[in-house]
Amino acid sequence: MASSRDDFVIAIRSAFLKKSTKQKFSLLTLVFFSIFIIVLSSFDLKAIRFTKSIIKEIVYRSSFIVSIPENLIISTYLNLNEYTNYYKEYKNTKEELDELKSENISTKIIRSENEELKSLIDGYSFTSNKILAKVIVDHESPFLRSIIINKGSKEKIKIGTNIYDRSYLVGRVIEVNYTTSRVLLLTDLNSNIPISITPGNTQAIVAGNGDKRGQIKYIKSELINKIKSESIAYTSGTGSIFKSGIPVGIVKFEDENSRDKIFIDFYSDFTQLKYVFAEIDAMIPASNEIKSNNQTQNTPNTEQIKLDLISDELQILQESNLKFLEENQELNTVSNELNKQIEILKIENDYQKKIINQHDLDKQELEFLRLNLIYSSKCQSKKLFSKGYKIGTPEYKKCIMRKGELAND
Amino acid sequence: MIRFPKKNYLFKIYTWLPMLVLFISVFNEFDFNYLNIDYFSFNFPYILVFYFALKEYQRFDYFLVFIAGLVNDTVVGLPLGLSSFSYILICIFASYLRNITISPNLIKDWFYFLFIISLINSLNYSILFLFFSYELNITLFIVNNFFTFLFYIIFSTFFKRFLKSLND
Repeated sequence: MASSRDDFVIAIRSAFLKKSTKQKFSLLTLVFFSIFIIVLSSFDLKAIRFTKSIIKEIVYRSSFIVSIPENLIISTYLNLNEYTNYYKEYKNTKEELDELKSENISTKIIRSENEELKSLIDGYSFTSNKILAKVIVDHESPFLRSIIINKGSKEKIKIGTNIYDRSYLVGRVIEVNYTTSRVLLLTDLNSNIPISITPGNTQAIVAGNGDKRGQIKYIKSELINKIKSESIAYTSGTGSIFKSGIPVGIVKFEDENSRDKIFIDFYSDFTQLKYVFAEIDAMIPASNEIKSNNQTQNTPNTEQIKLDLISDELQILQESNLKFLEENQELNTVSNELNKQIEILKIENDYQKKIINQHDLDKQELEFLRLNLIYSSKCQSKKLFSKGYKIGTPEYKKCIMRKGELAND
Repeated sequence: MIRFPKKNYLFKIYTWLPMLVLFISVFNEFDFNYLNIDYFSFNFPYILVFYFALKEYQRFDYFLVFIAGLVNDTVVGLPLGLSSFSYILICIFASYLRNITISPNLIKDWFYFLFIISLINSLNYSILFLFFSYELNITLFIVNNFFTFLFYIIFSTFFKRFLKSLND
């Protein structure tokens, strides 16, 4: 019994402490060293961060170089596959392009409206600056889903920067080095994205399932029935981790009848990422703010600027006054001419009125003469006691115009 | 069989081949993940480290194994030092097995390897879950454990041939 225990102790001691001629360190030293590093790396100190950053920079670059042959083989295989499906894909792409062109126009309109509304809400508008980044390491561990991109703090990438494949969300930055960054993919178990599901505008949180899909984890039970298969999921922007309105994926049920598990099929294939876009946000003050800022910057010369402005204004006013005077003179002459023309026209009018009156008088006279020839015998008095009027009197004229009817008749 | 003159540079590189393969595998995450088979993964460095530590291969420097662990942590995104810790633990267990074994047996080694990787994966899971608050899928760990165990027998035949070629 005692000898077997001794054998065990000897074997353990030998395993831990025996250092053969080729070994620089004993295994026990290395165990302590690795524990020390694990503990040290959990502290967020500046020196540790800097050292880790340097190690990561070197390892990522080396990994990229070492991966070249393997990536070449994989890409050749994928290219061959692509060529076989080339024509089919071309047709589909053409159809998609036509659809996208029409959608693009409406998107532009919506975007500009959105910008306006945002600037109205908080006085600031975000300018999204998407920079292209190359995926240098995409060796996914079976437990963690992440990629390394060749853009870092040098390009103003920060922890939390949203990463896109075309316009689809693929993840966010969780670690930043000087020229590289690690992106946590949406499929990772540690990834939680607040989403809105449309139609219905249902709010939920989707978590990666460590495989290719996402799974809806947190949703109000009464809202589950509102969700339909093939509904679209996009980021809601809740918690300010992701920007709102970014397309994420399509809702799929494990089984149409039961809604125990609701999955999200992401738009992007995370195993085929070669290039991605990193969105760098810059806060730009709205136009009103810019104006006010400019004013405050120029405070020392405010008086001079005011004077300059007033003198400029005065000059402009004088110039405009001169113009108005010239215009006024021109208008006066035109007005005089027009008045003259009016006078002439008035004279002409009077003359024509006179002619018309004369014409009327002549017409009346002519009528009187014509009726006089017919009814003069009836209207004139020839004897002393006979009825009628004396020729030339107004009564006689009236009688003639009444066609010989006397006043008493 | 490949034969090199013993003082040739190519021979020297050939003797360093296990270490080179270890570094290539940690830099490259050699686990056939591009095959896109659901849940399929295996840990090649575990197989390699265990086999060559067990056989006490002269060019298998433990310090370089430790460095390879650091590289693996950086590439995969695990807390720095965790893989190094796992690899060194494998070396310790392999060294212990070597010390207590008089007549080596592949099947015994194989099942001892299953015990070790199960223990180390459990340790890794616990450390990541308890101290670093990682959310991990235990199924993936179990599947990874199982395939690593299965592949050991395949790779050990290749490694055996390699050692034989060096001795010849």
